[in-house]
Amino acid sequence: MASLRLKSIVKTFADAPVVKNISLEVDDGEFLVLLGPSGCGKSTLLRMLAGLESISSGEISIDDKRVDHLPPTERDIAFVFQSYALYPHMTVRRNITFPLIMRRHRWWFHLPIIGGIAKRRIEQSPEVVDLVEKTAKTLALTPWLDKLPRTLSGGQRQRVALGRAMVRQPQVFLMDEPLSNLDAKLRTSMRSEISKLHQRVGGTFVYVTHDQVEAMTMGTRIALLKDGIVQQFGTPRDIYEAPANTYVARFIGTPPMNLLKAYVSGSTIDVGGASMPLAPHLRALFPGPFEGEVILGIRPNHLQIDVGAAGVPGAVSLVEHVGAESLIAVALDHATTAHDEEGLAPNEVMVTMSGYSSLAMGQRISLQFDLGEAVLFSATTGQNLACAQPSHSLISQ
Amino acid sequence: MNSPMRHTLRMLMVLGLLGAAAFPIYWMLVTSLTPSSELFVDTPNLLPRFSQLHVYWDVFALKPVGSWLLNSAIVAVGTTLASIVLAVFPAYALSRFRFTGKGALGFGLFTTQMLPEAMLVVPLYAIFGQLALLNTLGGLILANTAFTVPVVIWILKGAIDGIPLDIEEAARVDGCSRIGIILTVVVPLIAPTLAAASVIAFFHGWNEYIFAQTFINEESKHTASVGLASFIGELSTPIDAVMAVAIIYTLPAVAFYLMVQKHVVAGMTAGGVKG
Repeated sequence: MASLRLKSIVKTFADAPVVKNISLEVDDGEFLVLLGPSGCGKSTLLRMLAGLESISSGEISIDDKRVDHLPPTERDIAFVFQSYALYPHMTVRRNITFPLIMRRHRWWFHLPIIGGIAKRRIEQSPEVVDLVEKTAKTLALTPWLDKLPRTLSGGQRQRVALGRAMVRQPQVFLMDEPLSNLDAKLRTSMRSEISKLHQRVGGTFVYVTHDQVEAMTMGTRIALLKDGIVQQFGTPRDIYEAPANTYVARFIGTPPMNLLKAYVSGSTIDVGGASMPLAPHLRALFPGPFEGEVILGIRPNHLQIDVGAAGVPGAVSLVEHVGAESLIAVALDHATTAHDEEGLAPNEVMVTMSGYSSLAMGQRISLQFDLGEAVLFSATTGQNLACAQPSHSLISQ
Repeated sequence: MNSPMRHTLRMLMVLGLLGAAAFPIYWMLVTSLTPSSELFVDTPNLLPRFSQLHVYWDVFALKPVGSWLLNSAIVAVGTTLASIVLAVFPAYALSRFRFTGKGALGFGLFTTQMLPEAMLVVPLYAIFGQLALLNTLGGLILANTAFTVPVVIWILKGAIDGIPLDIEEAARVDGCSRIGIILTVVVPLIAPTLAAASVIAFFHGWNEYIFAQTFINEESKHTASVGLASFIGELSTPIDAVMAVAIIYTLPAVAFYLMVQKHVVAGMTAGGVKG
């Protein structure tokens, strides 16, 4: 178990920066999730932590010991790969034992017969057998210990990869999208297995994913990246309830936060032709007199649909039933949204309703806004007005 | 064309090709079991006469066939081992490392295959003379290895390219050195290709004639290919004995191929499908 500190990490590939001045501090026993879309630099950052990729500048420390100049094996980390990266020619037992054999490795282990005998002796030593079997039992792999990886299912292979990481008892576990090759059902069960593993083992975990559900359910803290910059670093709740900018607001949540262009005038806000009083926490953002454009962010579950009442007028454009709730797309008559970067459906917001909705497409409705749960973003920078500084510079200090 | 008809035609074609490939060997066998006096008759004998089998024992008394075969085996096995050991590391470097001149080096390896052996006999003879490698099987292994290593490097490079980098990185995290990765992870994973490459190297060493004829003067150190040619006399050639030795000469090579055949087929199909 160890704390982890990244200070001003920069990585450039052929003069193109892919990780730009990232600083993060992770406490002992935390589960940090690096979240972001493809190409945002999250895997590169993880590989730099592991020592599989060099850093262009910055410092990486594990438990206050600087490690960025050390090879992977001397950093006391374990890495779980997206592709499992099991050794196909070794049994499950040997795969799990391999790091322990390498720990006692001598040059003459490379000699054909003598080396084989030496490796087998380590594998069969009581303490190694005990550790491997305990690990296999934890991961329900005991019946497959003497099988080759190709005979196992995807979930079992992933568990072997976890076992190989666990058996080393490393200070830090690094995982690069370990569940992305699994089907949806298996992913859900493996997700909870990894969370339980974290609680049981108690080590520091760094987990890369592009799946926000994984991030929200597993992480104690999330660092959301875009184009090599951390957009927000905080607990899942912080990120969900108070996104640092419109990018985070668009990324987190299914469906994501609705972003609407609005106009603040004194203590009221105009959205889609309706004027509403600002909630106290929003009014507090403007200590002096303020008049101007903002972006209003509101989650789909904080919008209510009324038929025939006063509110922001619109029409139902799509109804999707997903079991416990219904997703309703509403095209507003006079509002312009900012949640779609490509400008598609410029007046459409999403509303979630519990249960089965009887609304029909094209039906005229009006929307009620629960502004007590809303956030405001700058219309020019997209930053959450509740944050004094852009999020990445805040955490890069 | 319906399916049974197509199947029959295909079978006939396969049998035809098989016959064309096997007939020369069958003819060697028949000729080896036919006395020289009956070889040039108007109606050739198409069936082997097993009463003549003694020729297979007689040739061992006539010439040191046993030691020739042993020499050939030493040269072929030596060439195979040396080629594999010397090729694995450059193949890994060509596959995994980026360095200046990598393309030129790869092309350079190819160009060595464009030079005919006969062109190199004279310069190699001079060099081997200075290094006291003439009349030694070690010298022969060295010369053959020089020709097989580039081919083996390219074959192994292709196989190493197919190993996912993740597996090597996992080994690095687990504590393997670069040499450890090559020996513990890469070599076992390319075993089928190693088998295929070893067949190529073995057959080159086993069949090689020009170097063996030029660099070795002592009869006891002749390889079987040279020994076989020594049967051809100025005035007469015992065709039955030549054919008998030729049959004996092919057997170890066939045995070696059968031994590694399963792996060779796997090696040839490796990388054809994902995973």
